[in-house]
Amino acid sequence: MRNLLEIKDLHVAYGKVEAVRGVALALQPGQIVTVIGPNGAGKTTLLGAAAGLLRSRGSVIYDGIDLHRVDVEERVERGFCLVPERRELFGDLTVTDNLVLGAYARRRGGDRVQQRLQEVYGRFPRLAERRRQKAHTLSGGERQMLALGRALMARPVLLMLDEPSLGLAPLIVREIFHIVASLRDAGVSILLVEQNARAALETADYGYVLETGEITHQGPASALISDPRVNATYLGGAG
Amino acid sequence: MSRRAVIVLALAVIALLAIAPFYATSFTITLLNYIGIYALVALGVVLLTGFGGMTSFGQAAFVGIAAYGTAWLTTAEGASPWLGLLFALALTGLVATLLGAVTLRLGGHYLPLGTVAWGLAIFFLFGNFEALGRHNGLANVPPIYVGPFSLEPTDAIYYLIWAMLIAATILVGNLLGSREGRAIRSLRGGVVMVESLGINVFRIRLITFVLAALLAGLSGWLYAHMSRFVSPAPFDLRMGIQYLFMAILGGSGHILGAVVGAALITLLEDGLQDLLPLFVRDGQQLEVIVFAVIYVLVLQFARGGVMPLVLRYLPRRTRKRIAAAEPMPRRMMPKPGSPLLKVERLVKRFGGLEAVSGVGFDVAAGEIVAVIGPNGAGKSTVFNLITGALPSDAGKVVFLGEDITRANQRRIAAAGIARTFQHVKLRSSMSLLDNVLLGTYLRTRSGFVAGALRFDRAEEARARFEALRQLERVGLGADPNEPAGNLPLGRQRILEVARALAADPALIILDEPAAGLSRPEKRALAELLRALRKEGVTVLLVEHDVEFVMTLVDRIVVMDFGSKLVEGAPAAVRDDPRVQEAYLGSVA
Repeated sequence: MRNLLEIKDLHVAYGKVEAVRGVALALQPGQIVTVIGPNGAGKTTLLGAAAGLLRSRGSVIYDGIDLHRVDVEERVERGFCLVPERRELFGDLTVTDNLVLGAYARRRGGDRVQQRLQEVYGRFPRLAERRRQKAHTLSGGERQMLALGRALMARPVLLMLDEPSLGLAPLIVREIFHIVASLRDAGVSILLVEQNARAALETADYGYVLETGEITHQGPASALISDPRVNATYLGGAG
Repeated sequence: MSRRAVIVLALAVIALLAIAPFYATSFTITLLNYIGIYALVALGVVLLTGFGGMTSFGQAAFVGIAAYGTAWLTTAEGASPWLGLLFALALTGLVATLLGAVTLRLGGHYLPLGTVAWGLAIFFLFGNFEALGRHNGLANVPPIYVGPFSLEPTDAIYYLIWAMLIAATILVGNLLGSREGRAIRSLRGGVVMVESLGINVFRIRLITFVLAALLAGLSGWLYAHMSRFVSPAPFDLRMGIQYLFMAILGGSGHILGAVVGAALITLLEDGLQDLLPLFVRDGQQLEVIVFAVIYVLVLQFARGGVMPLVLRYLPRRTRKRIAAAEPMPRRMMPKPGSPLLKVERLVKRFGGLEAVSGVGFDVAAGEIVAVIGPNGAGKSTVFNLITGALPSDAGKVVFLGEDITRANQRRIAAAGIARTFQHVKLRSSMSLLDNVLLGTYLRTRSGFVAGALRFDRAEEARARFEALRQLERVGLGADPNEPAGNLPLGRQRILEVARALAADPALIILDEPAAGLSRPEKRALAELLRALRKEGVTVLLVEHDVEFVMTLVDRIVVMDFGSKLVEGAPAAVRDDPRVQEAYLGSVA
């Protein structure tokens, strides 16, 4: 099958420090691919570069197009969306307004925005209950749902999730991973960065381990879970 | 450029400036005098706006108050200009204190608007006072004498102006590297974190504001006795804007930005006055437009000003290794097991929502206690009520026998409680070391004067060593001079832990310290907290990683919907069906 996303020899530098060094990864349509690794390995940087928020060297090919000259807005219009680590909600706007803004890239769709809004509320009933509340009054789990919902409003083909379980209670973490899996069933491909490596690998099809800016391990998620080195370092198993 | 070349170049510039009167025309010296006088005001703006985050359009008014003050005293009363200096500075300081006390509590764009208001008001005052000569001003201001030497000649007062500028620059530079200077630099950004370290934000803002006004006042005094005439025009709002722009053009994040900006604007103005008439008839008006275009271009493309562009070509300052110093004294820790914190029936309402409804628990000295519960259960709110970041609506908090329910954040910090925040609150452009040094604020004494005069070095060395020790302790000691913003989010949380430890607390309150940490990092954090317990430090934390909590803590308080659901030992809490339903989901 043709790759939906193919990153080759990607380098990202902050000043003289190279945070991502020659990373290559691929994702097929309908897959969940996860990138795990320690703090400071360059995971967030990798997503930032793929989304076009950070300058990078190397190639990012999405849906057969080299994104080199494609800006962030157009990447979103093409269905390539990022849910950032800090959620970055519009705190003073209501839940509904945050969601509608998510559809900005698809604003020429007319009344279909309302339809998608109902879909998102169907998926996240908690958000529907709070539709008139300002975003900054939401709890941590609701914020993550809103960030996810806002990205879904852009009708993404490929969704990049940066630490979706960060700061969430165990019940909610499980719920978020259920949602991630259900998105795949709905045809959305997902590139997932997670510190919660076990949950990420249990949900994903394929995984990469990123350490100090380089890919050190990769393989089917089930194989990585049983890889003794990965298990010892990231999953807390014996070893 | 090599380091050596930079030093040679800098020495050459200083030498050229020192002997300028011997080779330059008196017109050039006059220009240099103006540059020096403007740079003093711009230095105040750099301190106030660039470092302290307070934007003022009104600095020209302070120049005017000092200039009129000395002009009036020396002409009407025949006093010596040196007496005039004391009078001018006292007057400027007094007016700045009054204005600051009223306007500095304003936030956002209201403060700059406030400075515009009083800038305009003071300007009109000058033009309408009979004793100040109305719009004609005051003439025949006497020149300054140093002993028998008159500073009337342009190239004589030149030395006084530049000596004062250089001295002021050095003092401000020293101050910014000191304890109170770090407090000034921490003002940019939210104030909750700053107050939680025991820093009185309003006091720091007010003193910074008065210092900037005094620099403007010094400039006004020099101006009055250099031009020997004062009238309202040079102190109008347009000049106030000009001073602000000098600092921005030069680089408001750098002390030398003030001199660079003042020089650029002065030379540019002079050049335009020569050039523009060659092309058009109404050069004066075109000058304003040229400046406007430059303002817009700089704000668009070089917000940091000229200094960062220059610094890019200079070698990076090699920082001295932090030397070992005598350790700082530590607080007497309460006896393990004795009552430390007592929280009783706390209530907090946000509008109609009761976020915390009657939560109570005790913490004994030397314990590690976790508060867990679903997102939105009110855990962080309870922490904010205990630390004084939010006022409670009812209930009581007692710490070490003292009722701290109504105490402000600073008093609570002084009582021995240090904390971290759920949403990281650091100063990302400040170094790791400086961020942790902020934590030592209450353990150190040196004030503004000691900082500016470098009388604080012994204490500062100890504080720096202590900060490095805490950085090493949390595993961030490798590069203490790196800006905090370069750290990934998880490590920024750990940096907050180091900052809290630098305060030598009896109780440390951690809000999700392990979020975003990898497994080995979590293990290291747990080790650190266990070591702290051994030292007698008590730990209260919110954390969602169940395994982390269960293996580390002595006792758990579970919250749900703003109330306490269960309290007990980890094993009992884990097996409690109510906890499983509300939080864990199933047997974890």
